[in-house]
Amino acid sequence: MQFLDRPPRFLFFTGKGGVGKTSMACATALQLATEGKSILLVSTDPASNVGQVFGVSIGHHITTIPAVPNLAALEIDPLAAAQTFRERILGPVRGVLPEPVLNAIAEQLSGACTTEIAAFDEFTALLVDSAMTADYEHIVFDTAPTGHTLRLLQLPGAWSRFLETGKGDASCLGPLAGLEKQRTEYQAVVRALTDPARTRLVLVTRAQRASLREAARTSEELFSLGLSQQYLVINGLLPSPPLPCDELAAAIHQREQAALATLPDILATLPRAHVELKPFNLVGLEALRHFFTHHPEPAPSGEVELFESGDTPNNLSDLIDQISADGPGLILLMGKGGVGKTTLAAAVAVGLARKGLSVHLTTSDPAAHLTHTLEESLAHLTVSRIDPTEEKERHRQHVMDTQGAQLDAEGRALLEEDLRSPCTEEIAVFQAFSRIIGEADKRFVVMDTAPTGHTLLLLDATGAYHREVTRQGRNTGHHVTTPMMQLQNPKQTKVLLVTWAETTPVLETANLQADLRRAGIEPWAWIVNQSIAAAHPRAHLLRQRAHNELGEIHAVSTQHARRYALVPLMKHEPVGVNSLLELINQRIEGSKRDDKEPRIEPLLQQNPKSGDPLVCSM
Amino acid sequence: MTKIHIFDPVLCCSTGVCGVQVDQALVTFAADVDWAIKNGAQIERMNLAQQPLAFAENATVKAFLERSGPEALPLILVAGEVALAGRYPTRTELARWAGIAKPLPPKIDVACCSDSGCC
Repeated sequence: MQFLDRPPRFLFFTGKGGVGKTSMACATALQLATEGKSILLVSTDPASNVGQVFGVSIGHHITTIPAVPNLAALEIDPLAAAQTFRERILGPVRGVLPEPVLNAIAEQLSGACTTEIAAFDEFTALLVDSAMTADYEHIVFDTAPTGHTLRLLQLPGAWSRFLETGKGDASCLGPLAGLEKQRTEYQAVVRALTDPARTRLVLVTRAQRASLREAARTSEELFSLGLSQQYLVINGLLPSPPLPCDELAAAIHQREQAALATLPDILATLPRAHVELKPFNLVGLEALRHFFTHHPEPAPSGEVELFESGDTPNNLSDLIDQISADGPGLILLMGKGGVGKTTLAAAVAVGLARKGLSVHLTTSDPAAHLTHTLEESLAHLTVSRIDPTEEKERHRQHVMDTQGAQLDAEGRALLEEDLRSPCTEEIAVFQAFSRIIGEADKRFVVMDTAPTGHTLLLLDATGAYHREVTRQGRNTGHHVTTPMMQLQNPKQTKVLLVTWAETTPVLETANLQADLRRAGIEPWAWIVNQSIAAAHPRAHLLRQRAHNELGEIHAVSTQHARRYALVPLMKHEPVGVNSLLELINQRIEGSKRDDKEPRIEPLLQQNPKSGDPLVCSM
Repeated sequence: MTKIHIFDPVLCCSTGVCGVQVDQALVTFAADVDWAIKNGAQIERMNLAQQPLAFAENATVKAFLERSGPEALPLILVAGEVALAGRYPTRTELARWAGIAKPLPPKIDVACCSDSGCC
């Protein structure tokens, strides 16, 4: 593991939710502490289980880990940080300004930008020299700031503008207004981050094309900002040679190796480490100590029960039946990037069209290969595309041509950066979105993208203001239906949340659900996608992973979702009508202990001498 | 010099980048403010989302919010008195209040959404 060799003071792990950043950071901290160095581990994972991993409750202050000499840890909850941030602004006016005003302000400060800046604000103190961290040789973070945050902090305009008046201010830095005394601190932080002698960035990813593309983008962006000491870790790889006796494992292995063989250029040049998929959960010191070591396929130790007897979760076709029964409307698939929204949207559209219903499928899939053949092969189905890059560019161009034209160079730079914020992208796509959703009273409109509750609330607030103006101008009195009203109406709209059966993705999806509920939108169902448990794996390693999914699936079914469907991990990427239909109709059944012909049986026999799995028995 | 205070509604940013469509009224107004300041006017803008305390500490603004709600903003005070509410002032109005030379006509069309129906 090269990224562990002679590390600088700060180590950052970055990657999408669910790739294993926190585990990686924990294992790294443990490894370095074992080498005798004093380490501070900082987690900002909203699902942080660092305390659980080390068997001690941590929380919002630096806590020494009794079981590991030289190791201390700190958990930062980004949502709590954002809450504190909001309170800093709202606190002084609470009880002074009317309630609706307070709510409007709170909403404004509830976006992704605020959360990110707030979390960043929390750990700036750790990056500048201070008595608090002086004792630690290394500080290991399970997160890294985004390019957007770093660029904003580097722009002189971002700081001077919101202190001057009447000129314009940075939306994302808004909550920092009034904290200008910290400006020098932020500058010191940016210097520390961009100093290769002090900071190392470890990109964590899975060996999947989409995941690697995302990592390449992050790498490039942070490189251009001066974070030049980068390492790549591919996590969760199936071991080579492939696991015997398991077609699924063989297919995944092949897909992973193909993805590794065609790494994006920028990633191929980075020092790289491979970490294999572990059969165990990374809880406890023993498990963590073995994180970086190779594990042979463990000998099967008895049957792994995947689903309780008689427990038959819904599959996708069950959901599609219910959707079709309710008649035309808008079907929105929402979730974090990479969880398979486009595939599932295509599957739902195909399932509905096969019933002879008129369907319009709209995707924002950048690759477009998933859906481009569907239209020709299926009657009743229309396919269109929203290109987020195009929409964003159109929006950017329009803004720069209008208000950008009025600004000086500094102001333009700042405006450009505002336009790169995640919120702005969502708003740009929202325009295209609003054009299409009007069709949903006549046919089924299936989309793999939708605005968050936060965006809707903001837009609605502006919309309300605009309507007010119109009403004052000319009293037409005709009824206006906003996109928000359409999304709130369960007769018109069904939101399907897509997740994986892993801790962080489920938690992120629950947060998304809370965000939608704030906007008065109740998600109709959850889809647990790419489930190993639902794929009936045979190899013991996969069966252990499958077993680990059950707790998350249970949480989805009992705590989060009103209804849910389970979709198995497929051997091949489902492209085209036939494989989508196959995906829809996968039936997941519980195995029965007393079944005479059990569906799932131990399939590996061991070589009595070496203990290696040798033969497949059927 | 007469001071002009603009109390903006909850805005992502005073430029209005965050709206579905860029609000031409905001764009124009930002330019008008810029012009007026360059010509010697004293104008201060307060964003409800970012400086709520400024709203709470001003009795006139606070009473206005209680009576009419945040959707009635913007509110414009000239020398502490209510001069305008519910829309942004024109360049001519700014010039009159600030006591500076009138701008040259004509200027940009301020119609926000007459063609799009976004309102």
